[in-house]
Amino acid sequence: MPDAVALDDRRTSHVALRELVVERVRNLDHLELEPAPGLNLIAGDNGQGKTSILEAIYLVATSRSFRTSRLAEVVAHGASVASVRAAVVELDGAAAADTPPGYVRHQSLGLDGARRVLRLDGEPPVSLAHYATRTPVVVFHPAELELSTGAPAARRELLDRVSLFQAPETSRHRAAYARALRSRRELLRLGSGARELEAFEAVLAEHGAALCRRRARACEALALEATAAFARLAPPELALGVRYEPGGSPDPELARAELARGRARDAGRPSPRFGPHHDDLGLTLDGRPARRVASQGQHRALTMALKLAERACIAAARGLEPILLLDDVSSELDRERSTALFALLGAGLGQVFVTTARPDLLADLPTGTSFRSFRVARGALVPAGG
Amino acid sequence: MLPDKLQALVRLLARLPGVGDKTAQRYALFLCTADPAIARELGLALAGLEAEVGPCTRCGHVADRSAAGGLCAICADPRRDGSVLCVVGRVQDLLSIERSAAYRGRYFVLGRLLAPLEGIRAEDLPLERLKALLRDPARPVTEVLLATPPSVDGEATALLLAEELRPLGARVTRLASGVPHGGDLEFADPVTIGRAIAHRRGVE
Ligand SMILES: [Zn+2]
Repeated sequence: MPDAVALDDRRTSHVALRELVVERVRNLDHLELEPAPGLNLIAGDNGQGKTSILEAIYLVATSRSFRTSRLAEVVAHGASVASVRAAVVELDGAAAADTPPGYVRHQSLGLDGARRVLRLDGEPPVSLAHYATRTPVVVFHPAELELSTGAPAARRELLDRVSLFQAPETSRHRAAYARALRSRRELLRLGSGARELEAFEAVLAEHGAALCRRRARACEALALEATAAFARLAPPELALGVRYEPGGSPDPELARAELARGRARDAGRPSPRFGPHHDDLGLTLDGRPARRVASQGQHRALTMALKLAERACIAAARGLEPILLLDDVSSELDRERSTALFALLGAGLGQVFVTTARPDLLADLPTGTSFRSFRVARGALVPAGG
Repeated sequence: MLPDKLQALVRLLARLPGVGDKTAQRYALFLCTADPAIARELGLALAGLEAEVGPCTRCGHVADRSAAGGLCAICADPRRDGSVLCVVGRVQDLLSIERSAAYRGRYFVLGRLLAPLEGIRAEDLPLERLKALLRDPARPVTEVLLATPPSVDGEATALLLAEELRPLGARVTRLASGVPHGGDLEFADPVTIGRAIAHRRGVE
């Protein structure tokens, strides 16, 4: 494989995988990868394991999968344990590309069924949030084309991914909120007395309000970046509006009162009418709901703008350009998407992994762009040309 | 594969917290192949445990059953400040606070936290015993420090206790945050716990 020259014009510091070792993740039995610090192209037919490589990178960086919330699904069929190990470097944008990087961080994730074992330089991390914010990564996969049109859950995830880097305790509030929500539902189901309900509602209100404040902050940053990105991708006369639409309140006292008032109504319902589990990101084009008025192409531009904004917000909050994972750039590739792809590739430029079934598409890359390419077949790397 | 006696031992060991089947088997094999004195002494210690050690009759900490009044070392220590009572979830939490050396009062061990998802309700908490302690005119308590962990169940338990105990007159305080959240006091370092105690605040 050709030795890739790093992409130039790299001003911000960025984070890069230097080495990746994957064991028994999905159909990847054993795979070792030495990516370039810039652009990496992973080619292969469908079902060969391209996306699983991106999933492995995402797993070792964030401790989660972007394909499933059930980690046991990630472990290869017939295996009981899986692991991903990575050596990560933080490259200073000011330094020359050939400067030997100082510090190499080792991260690993082991899966024993659904049980997750994380190590940072051989030690258990102080917290999940600490681990998940060491190596920032942004993934863009085909399912996210529905970010602007689909259910609000995906947009809440977007807010929380940004928020995690702005205020790492967000993940703790989110987990506590979910547990308090289930506890209250159980108490309502049992017809519990007021004093237990009050106690759990106070905890619920506290974490819900904290989540609300953090999402509002994340949205503020996202809105700025997304409107700027959208202006570059879509006709300039069309104005994008991004607004946080809270389902709860940033004020815990108010939230508490709302919950107490809603007890009779909420009993027997899966979740209360009030609270941040109803949060959404309101998207408008010229003041009208994007869901109703946007064309197919505008939705694509909108989604792309949100992903660009995610990347910019995380870079700003973490002070490091994230690794970018672009999955399946070949499927139903259209003009908007390829334009947007190159817009993404041109923005800041850290390490990028692109998977595609059609490597010829990369012919569209600006001339002089260098990359390292890999080919995957049946879960293993095969020698690649290019 | 293994003799019945040993199998039975493996099953017993596997019931210990944090001990899986493999570890239990390793322990069992160690006990029957290493110096037999180890197994003998362990057996004696275990056989006598229930008769010799039990919960302190006042605070629920572990105590020597032969001690005067069945009191633990902390309840029996006259140098302890009886005017402050620290309420913890488990004995391990008490030991963490002791390691911080930041607290000189006495304790009350709940033994469990409110956890509706695990079926633990208010009536399962030793509330009456706690209230009786606070009502004892011979040993006036002026401050109750709620030191349940900063998890959902720990916070809810603290709030419920604050409501229940406030009418009894003592000032109710809560550990300052700073202890790793969602987590255990057990894993917090002594300095963090010390700071959380020093900056405890009143529960309104
Ligand atoms: Zn005692």
